[in-house]
Order: sequence, then structure tokens, then C-alpha cells
Amino acid sequence: MSQRMYPGMSPDEKTTFAPYSAFDIPADLRELHGRYDVEATARRCRNFRYAEEWMMMILGGWVATIPEVPVKTGLGKIIWETAQAADELGRRLPELRCGRKAVEASEASNQAFADFIQALSDPEQPDLSIEKLAGIFDVLKPHLVEVYERTMRETDQISDAPTIEILDTIVRKTRRHIAWGQEVLDRLCDTDATRERRRKRIDLINAKLAECGGVTGTLESDRGSLH
Amino acid sequence: MKRFIHHSELARDSRFVRQDNAQSTVLAQMPDDVETVVNIFDQFTPMIEESVRGTAAQALFDEYGPGFALMVLNEPLDPDSPISKTRLLLRMHGIFVGELQALEGAARSLWDFPDAPWEFKMNMARQCWDEGRHVQIFEKLLTHLGGEVGMFPESTFLFECACSEDPAMRVAGVNRGLEGLACDVFRDMIRYAEKTGDETMRQAVDYVLADEITHVRFGSEWVKAFTEGDPDHFKRTQDFRREVDKQFSFGGARSDRPDAAIPIAWEDRVEAGFSEEELRDLAELSVGGPSKKTLIEAARILRERHQARKAEQSKETGQ
Repeated sequence: MSQRMYPGMSPDEKTTFAPYSAFDIPADLRELHGRYDVEATARRCRNFRYAEEWMMMILGGWVATIPEVPVKTGLGKIIWETAQAADELGRRLPELRCGRKAVEASEASNQAFADFIQALSDPEQPDLSIEKLAGIFDVLKPHLVEVYERTMRETDQISDAPTIEILDTIVRKTRRHIAWGQEVLDRLCDTDATRERRRKRIDLINAKLAECGGVTGTLESDRGSLH
Repeated sequence: MKRFIHHSELARDSRFVRQDNAQSTVLAQMPDDVETVVNIFDQFTPMIEESVRGTAAQALFDEYGPGFALMVLNEPLDPDSPISKTRLLLRMHGIFVGELQALEGAARSLWDFPDAPWEFKMNMARQCWDEGRHVQIFEKLLTHLGGEVGMFPESTFLFECACSEDPAMRVAGVNRGLEGLACDVFRDMIRYAEKTGDETMRQAVDYVLADEITHVRFGSEWVKAFTEGDPDHFKRTQDFRREVDKQFSFGGARSDRPDAAIPIAWEDRVEAGFSEEELRDLAELSVGGPSKKTLIEAARILRERHQARKAEQSKETGQ
């Protein structure tokens, strides 16, 4: 009797192909269920998008008021990649039942985080490059990486894989931004006085971030260590 | 951080020197009359002398006097000319600072217009990266040609022209007016690089030109979007773009004249979304102002007067 290529209607009409489950090789150790449901993930995406969008706008405002040419040009690329991050997060929202028009929905987790973002944008004068960059590259971007990575770990690994993929790309690029920013800051802070300025700014912005609960407003319950 | 900054607030490191933007404005408004052009430049002599002091342009001032810009702007770049290298570096430096201001302009649009549509912000963010790369490219080309950042004074006229508080006006001025001018200048630079066999310059500027066409297209699309359903607003943006085009025609140096130093890059502009009607309009408005003959005659007189003044001064010093 020849091998059946397709199953028939009765039990003796099965094919002879050996069963092979997607769960066998390679072993899929992921488990269903994560910390966030659809609504909570959507809220997080809106919060993340708010932070990325405002960072992009703030960096845009600073380009003209920063005197160091390589910093201006370096920020050009970071602005674009930060805008892409916001865009990708926005594109996820309609997939999370937020409506087709939700792609531009940025939302601060609370008023305190919105105020924090405005405080971050305060430095304006050309002699404040250290304060400008330290707020973003020493504090906010590292905080976002920490929260994004926690989200990637805690969300449902299979059901919410599209969010994980988006965050994975953003984290990879954000780490490059942080490395660039820290290299620039190390160069700008080449005296005790300038190093002290950087430290003070980090302390101030870190304190404000903790006060508002971070990008999701839940820093206390999520708590990892801040930079 | 406040919204909308003045062009004098552009931050620069210690290599840069500023040039008074009044010169550029005057150049764009001069009549076709030798005596008037000479008188205007004579009045500006102290300001021009001050702005070039200690820069590579001082040698041009010493040789040609206050009208050196007329010589530099109105003659096509000729590799065989004795001052071709200085002129090339002057143009390259002008492009470098122009790209820097274009980066600053696109970036400020993100902060100045927080409520603009998301796609507009995405386009401006992308332009930030492109302009940032252009700054890097022209800094490298400047070095490649033996120049350096800060060797000539920087006019912030580009940023001044571009910083309207109305987003439609801003994209009309920056993305259609100034980036359109960039298309003309870069096409001319590519021709020059081909003539001199400089493949490094040719290829780099060719890539930049491709980006600029995209930026003009952003402008073409956003002017339409921002002024949709408001013909008066659309007309104002067109008038503003024409004003910017007029200012940056440098008295016909960039025009459709057969002897223009920088010809209009007609095909590139069509690809970027300019209509034939707009291009005919640009060709017409850019030839206005003093003729090339007028400017060259004015430059000759200014040079003679300058040399005479120098001779007089050295005579007095000698006595």
C-alpha cells in the first residue's frame, strides 16, 4: 500500500508522517501568560512613545544651541533613530485594539512625568551642553533601556512578541546612543568642576525621575536600580 | 527651552567668525547701476574688512578690496584660474556652514512646532540625520581640498531667512527655497569635480544632491498639506519662497543666464516636485538686479579704489 499523502475521513486513513511539534526541536521553553494584558501593554507603549517623541523634540531644540559641531551632527542621527522608535511604538497601538488612528497617541503616565520632561528641556544656553546631555544620556535613556528590558522579560513571550521585537530594536539602538553620549560627556567633563556639574545634574534628574515614578509611573513597584 | 530663536543665538565653537548678514541683504536688492553698486560696497568697506580679518578671505580682500565677493560670486568656478583654490574653498566653506544651519533649522522645526503632524516630525527628524551627515561630508571635503573649518566668516543669513514662525512658510523657505538652491549649487560642484577628475568630491556631492531632492520633496508636500483649503496662505508661502529665491540668487549669480556662475539645476528640481511654471518664475526672478557686466565693472572700480587707498596709506606710513 502506498503512503498516504493527505489524511482521509476515517482513523485508518491517517498519513504516516511522524508527528513533529514546534515545541520539540528546538525546545520552546517560553510559557504563556505575562505580567501585562493587552490594555496594560497598550498603555506602556503610549507612555514609551511619549518619552521617545519628547526626547526627539528636545534634542531637536538643542542642536542649534550646542556649540560642539560633532555633538550637533551626532545628535542628528540620534534624533532620527529616536523618532523611529516613537513611530514603531505608535504603529503597535492599532494592533492592541487602540483604533486605527492611535498611531500618533503619545501619553504621559501622569502629570508629574510630563513635568519631568519639561524640566529635562530647561537648559538652553550654549555653555550648558553638559546639563543638556547628562539629563538624556546619563539618566533618561538608561532608565528607558531598563524599563524596556524589564517589559521584554515580563510580557507574554509569545502573545506579545511583536512588542518585544520593537523594544529589542529600540534597546539596541538606545544602547549605542548611551555609549555615544557618555563618550561625549567624558570628553566635555575633563576637569573636577565639569565632572561635578555632570554629577549634580544626574542627581537632580534622577531624583525628579524617581519622584514621578519613571516613564510608566510605576517605578516603585518595578524598581530596578537607576543609573 | 523657549520656542523660536534668533539667528544670532546659533551656538558655535571658537573656530567660527560671524559675518554681518546686512551684506547679503544688500546684494540681493541692488539695482543695475554701476555707481550705486560701488557706493553701497564702499559704505560697507569697514564692515567687510572687519569680518574677513584673520580669515582666509583676507587675502581676497587685500587683492580686490570690498568688492571681492562680486568677483567670487559671479564667475563660474574655473580650475585654471589663479584664485580658483581660494574660491573653491570659500564655496565649500559656505556650503559647510549652510549645511550646519540646515541641520539646525530642521532640528528647530521639531521643537518650534510641537503640534505639527507626526509625519512632518518624521520628515524633519530624517532631515536632521541627513543634514548632520552633510556637515560631516563637507567638513571632510574641506579638509580634502586643503581647507579647514573657520577659515572664512560665517553668514547666518540662511538661518535668518528660514526661521519663520509659520511651519508652512518655514518649509517653503528652507525646503523649497534653500534646498532648491542647494540642488543648483551641488549640480555645479559635480560638474566642477568631473572637470578636475576629483572622484571623491563627485561621488560625495552626488549623494548629497540625492538627499536634497528628497528634502525639497518634503517641502513641496508639506506646503500643500499646511495650506490645504487656504489659497491665501498658499500664496503667502509662494511669495515667501520667491523672496528667499531672490535673496539667494546673489544678483543673478545663481540664475538661468548663459553666463551664470551657478546655473539652475532644472532637471533635479523637476524631480524634486517643482512645476515648470515655478521654474520659469525662478528663472525670471533670479536674473533681476544688476547684470554681470555691471557687477564686474563695479568690482573693477572698487579694486582700483582699494589699491589707491592702500598706496596712499603706505605713502603716509613711509613719510
